[in-house]
Amino acid sequence: MQTLLDFWAGYGSTVVFAMVNSFFALSAYAVLSTGVLSFATVAFAAVGGFLAAQMVGKFGMPLPAAVALAGLGGGLASALVAAAFLKLESHWMALASLALVLITRVVALNAPALTGGVNGLVVPQRISFLQLLVLLAVVALVFHRLSRSWYGLAARAVREDPAVASTMGVSPYRIQFTAFLISGVVGGIGGAALAFTLQFISPETYFIGLAFTMIASTVLGGSFHWVGSLIGAAVFTALPVTMQAIVPQIEDVAKGVALLLIMIFLPRGLIDPRAWGLRRAARARQVAGGATQAEPHG
Amino acid sequence: MQLFLEQTINGVALGSLYALFGVGFGLVFATLGILNAAHGCYASWAAIVGYYAVESVGLPFPVAILAGVIAGGAIAIIVDQIAFQPLRDRGTGLLGALITSIGFWIILDSLAGFATGQQSLAFPAASYPSGMTSIAGLRVPTMQIVVIVALAVCTVGIYLLIQKTRVGAAMRAVGWNPVSASLGGVNSRMVILLTAFLAGATSGLAGVLGGIATSNVSFTLGEGLMLKGFAAVVVGGFDDVRGTAIAGICLGVIEVFVAQYLSTSLRDGITYSLLLIFLVVRPRGLFGSASFQRA
Repeated sequence: MQTLLDFWAGYGSTVVFAMVNSFFALSAYAVLSTGVLSFATVAFAAVGGFLAAQMVGKFGMPLPAAVALAGLGGGLASALVAAAFLKLESHWMALASLALVLITRVVALNAPALTGGVNGLVVPQRISFLQLLVLLAVVALVFHRLSRSWYGLAARAVREDPAVASTMGVSPYRIQFTAFLISGVVGGIGGAALAFTLQFISPETYFIGLAFTMIASTVLGGSFHWVGSLIGAAVFTALPVTMQAIVPQIEDVAKGVALLLIMIFLPRGLIDPRAWGLRRAARARQVAGGATQAEPHG
Repeated sequence: MQLFLEQTINGVALGSLYALFGVGFGLVFATLGILNAAHGCYASWAAIVGYYAVESVGLPFPVAILAGVIAGGAIAIIVDQIAFQPLRDRGTGLLGALITSIGFWIILDSLAGFATGQQSLAFPAASYPSGMTSIAGLRVPTMQIVVIVALAVCTVGIYLLIQKTRVGAAMRAVGWNPVSASLGGVNSRMVILLTAFLAGATSGLAGVLGGIATSNVSFTLGEGLMLKGFAAVVVGGFDDVRGTAIAGICLGVIEVFVAQYLSTSLRDGITYSLLLIFLVVRPRGLFGSASFQRA
């Protein structure tokens, strides 16, 4: 028990940030699982974060309601973005969403009435660990159910080959639009969770750094299963802390090197359903091979 | 009128820096199909190497620029061989290379912080042509002329290289489809190395010149160039260096005029809005070819 408490005292904030980052990673995964690379999550997070912060700060809204509203706001923003961006080809899509991230910061800087401008915004409430845990569990449950549903199957088909998917009667546009809505809602919730964790947000909170952290978490953990996003966020959040403990002088360099090594040697990420399948098949073959070899002797 | 002309030249010089950086960035994106987050670091490192070449070794100005440019190209080759080459056969596409380039971005940025002692350095004024040149009654900083000439030379040079020579044809072929290029007898490994070097060197030149012109040699230099260079590439159409050059200059002029006549806070907003409008309305950019598809 004592060791557990010590661990919490030392690494509690790391665990909390890993959970917050999980929302962003899941949001990126939602679109990536239909074959769309998008950084727009950062914009949804900014919408959700500033919305929730203002609702709590100015109108005294209770925290859970503010988080729900943030999800709604993120979802609305994502519908607009999806309508504008989905006709673009994949490379352009990635670039356009990156441009959106740049614009988000400029807009946030120039709308001080909504966002506090350069000075940022103090958030008067803090999300408790239990609330965060429940929120993440609910979101994870939704992802779990979705991956086993018709939508999950259709999303995999669209990712592997949109042309084949559409000949099977699956509309890639509709699937990707839905994916964007999911990404927007989760991104908005994540933005609010970040605001209620940091208790101070500014236009710099929702910028390139967040975009790259999020996409690195998703791909690092494995972009073929939603659990990968959770694992990736945990690893990517814990990496700097661990590196600081081992090599405090060059922690950033070590973080970059770790990212490089994982990507080069495990390009499909830490959680890879295909590798499990291959391993299971190999084991089955071994058992079957063993049986045929045994037969002549027996 | 005097102010207007001076500001125009300021804008063109600023835009030339963006364009010069963008030419390198676009070359990698068009030929190698990589969205390289580490590209800004090439510029930072070229500027840092140029700075130490002047400050510690005492090399003359043109040689220091050359040192920075070669350093930019060399780093580009190192990054390409370590971060991108292992992924080429595995079909991870845009995503895998993006993540490894983020890794290198973190590494190079942090090392650049050590190299400059976490502060912004400036080239000593005696080491470069810091005076003014008068052209038709206007007094223009000599460095701005150097920057504009550098952009003109690089754009024309790279355009001719890509469009008129056999090497350029090989680069375009690899950009279109590396496998069929190999079948056609192109040594794609050499082409990739050459492209990486050329891109790093061009962006490195932008870094050294930008470091001198803005008196800021640090890791933030590359980041600033990267965001604006990226905008120039997209607006201009990334498979044509002429488009990048013109779009970069336009962005620079627009930025300076918005800051002068409207408001400084709108400066970045207008650039990025233009970027987004182009992406949604005309994704192939000003000069881009009609279709772009990578299987």
